[in-house]
Amino acid sequence: MIWEMWNLFLERSDFFADLLWEHLGISLLAIVIAVLIGGAAGILISEVRGAAKPTLGVVSFLYTIPSISMLGFLIPFSGVGNATAVIALTVYALLPMVRNTYAGMTNVDPAILEAAKGMGSTRMQVLFKIRLPLAMPVIMSGIRSMVTMTIALAGIASFIGAGGLGVAIYRGITTNNTAMTMDGSLLIALLALLMDFLLGIVERRMTKCSAEAKKVNHRIAAAVLVLCLAGAGVGMFRTHTGDTVHIATKPMTEQYVLGEMLELLIEQDTDLNVELTQGVGGGTSNIQPAMESGEFDMYPEYTGTAWNMVLKEDSLYTEDLFGELEQAYEDDYSMEWVGMYGFNNTYGLVARREIAEQYGLKTYSDLAAAAGELTFGAEYDFFEREDGYDSLCETYGLEFKDTMDLDIGLKYQALNEGQIDVMVVFTTDGQLSSSDVVVLEDDLQFFPSYLCGNVIRSEVLEAHPELNEVFEKLTGTISDNDMAEMNYKVETEGREPEDVAEEFLRDCGLLE
Amino acid sequence: METMIEFRHVKKSYGDKPVLKDFNLTVEKGEFVTIIGSSGCGKTTALKMVNGLLEPDGGDIFVYGENIRGKDQTQLRRNIGYAIQGSVLFPHMTVEQNISYVPNLLNKKDRKKTRDAVSKWMKIVGLDDELRSRFPSELSGGQQQRVGIARALAASPEILLMDEPFGAVDEITRGQLQTEIGRIHAQTGITVMFVTHDISEALKLGTKVLVMDKGDIQQYDRPEELLRHPATDFVKKLVAQQRHACHLPDDRLEECEYSGVRTC
Repeated sequence: MIWEMWNLFLERSDFFADLLWEHLGISLLAIVIAVLIGGAAGILISEVRGAAKPTLGVVSFLYTIPSISMLGFLIPFSGVGNATAVIALTVYALLPMVRNTYAGMTNVDPAILEAAKGMGSTRMQVLFKIRLPLAMPVIMSGIRSMVTMTIALAGIASFIGAGGLGVAIYRGITTNNTAMTMDGSLLIALLALLMDFLLGIVERRMTKCSAEAKKVNHRIAAAVLVLCLAGAGVGMFRTHTGDTVHIATKPMTEQYVLGEMLELLIEQDTDLNVELTQGVGGGTSNIQPAMESGEFDMYPEYTGTAWNMVLKEDSLYTEDLFGELEQAYEDDYSMEWVGMYGFNNTYGLVARREIAEQYGLKTYSDLAAAAGELTFGAEYDFFEREDGYDSLCETYGLEFKDTMDLDIGLKYQALNEGQIDVMVVFTTDGQLSSSDVVVLEDDLQFFPSYLCGNVIRSEVLEAHPELNEVFEKLTGTISDNDMAEMNYKVETEGREPEDVAEEFLRDCGLLE
Repeated sequence: METMIEFRHVKKSYGDKPVLKDFNLTVEKGEFVTIIGSSGCGKTTALKMVNGLLEPDGGDIFVYGENIRGKDQTQLRRNIGYAIQGSVLFPHMTVEQNISYVPNLLNKKDRKKTRDAVSKWMKIVGLDDELRSRFPSELSGGQQQRVGIARALAASPEILLMDEPFGAVDEITRGQLQTEIGRIHAQTGITVMFVTHDISEALKLGTKVLVMDKGDIQQYDRPEELLRHPATDFVKKLVAQQRHACHLPDDRLEECEYSGVRTC
């Protein structure tokens, strides 16, 4: 495992270096903002004591909001991406900052303050010459713990499409690449430790008490602040020349592959730049609002999901509703469906080949006669869902001999070993392509259809008609089995989505 | 004689508890007034009213001949030296920075003048010049008190307020510091108000001693008058030991009732 992690790190060192910079940029910007705002607030409430309680109350309350919901709240205001991540991180960093500043400021010996006042210092002079310097050690330790916390928390920023090492973690999780998840986590931990170490040095330097050392300290502090801001700026906002298409993908292996394909083809066939935001957390529910606000220009979507989640229809989606779906997208959102890939990522029933041959199973209806002698397997939730097991059995008149709850990772093994005979799958499951099974036909259309295509903002398509060519090329090129194979290569063989995408496009002759 | 500080019918209470009822006091230029009394008698309160740290509930206070009510308190304080109980040096500043604190508030530009003032005052209070760049935590208790005095005097004020400045040092150092402050007073002719709870210190340092009890002045007079003619029972009790201290040669010590030499 450690070997694997090390190899991956060496192979993809550029990728990790980019993420590391971005992570540092996002964290540092949030830290600097929090130090300034939180420090100012802490100082203010130590002067105007009446404001202390309400202020601390508010920042404590903000601190208790779970990070996922915080990001969710912010998306409608600041969209997806780095800005939202910085805002959320800043909000969390405020509490330790405000609280420590306040504690430091209020714990200065009152006798010293009275002496300063008695000698004729103005309020501001007491504040900046006496109080603040004496509160500094407490403030500093607050900053130190806040920095570590912020760097760790920044890992979650990738859930809303921001960059940073969280991208590696999240990608690792969705594409079943443990080494990548571990590398990402480890780098975050190392980064946090490193920053803590550096701040430890700063803390020690600050307690060093000679006028000379202080002068040096001031210069170092100024230099570091400038570097922080510069680093944050560079890390966050890289500029592109020419027009850019912003593509988002959902956190699913096949979407990672599709995203890479789109990037490769668009950059080959047009003059456009592609900015790819892979694996946006929350999928459709976060990408759709960002599409509406114009932050993203396009993303791969499934017809059935669009019907239920975007158009909020309750009915079962079948492909004869596609015209209606397209019309609704055009009317309600000024978006279009283009480049339907051809594969359908829906639920499906499969039978082990020997069983299928033995009973002559081709369609779900064929199962009715044989079900009494077969064991059915599915994930736990399939048995619970309203449109799940019970409803399926009712539609096709099935009565299985036995049923079994299985974890998604183990069900193929169970089928191959004969513990179960028939099970529910997703039609593009990576392992489907390597298993000796027969996919049965949903002849009564029990499961909704989830054909995959691209949703694009009409505005973008009008501005760049050259994109149509790319979508035409992609239309109908990927079958269920092709997609399943590509998923298998990523999830089981541990290959990179980019390689898999490139290989496929080359094999189809789409890439030169 | 010129009047430096004057209290006229000053009243002050904390909540329901009156501290000063009708306080009248005149301090002439160049006097060294020691203020003594039981704790809570209002001596620190009276002191802090001179530099405006506390405001009277009624009555008026005149400093340098002017009523301080409604005057710029910050400016007033910069012209009055202030040294308080224990050591409240600024712990994050060096000896030099501590001493030059007030001069820096007054004239930021003239660094040389400030540096010279620091040297001068360090010499006067008996601090070695190499202590300049030390921090308070690196000084002995006596040295800290000296820095505190130098800091109070650095801007050459004409009035110096001291609130039990030698309360936290050992007996021997206190004796030395008392001698120093006496010498400084004699040298500079500065007007001093000095709060203490030690009657021997009050009698030794003061050109005038103010005895207070429960917010009232018991007696305000030269130390020898206090010993000769204590005005009230309170004063009498307070100075009893000093009255009976007999400065007799060794062979006559037995004649004194209070001498430890006498055997029964």
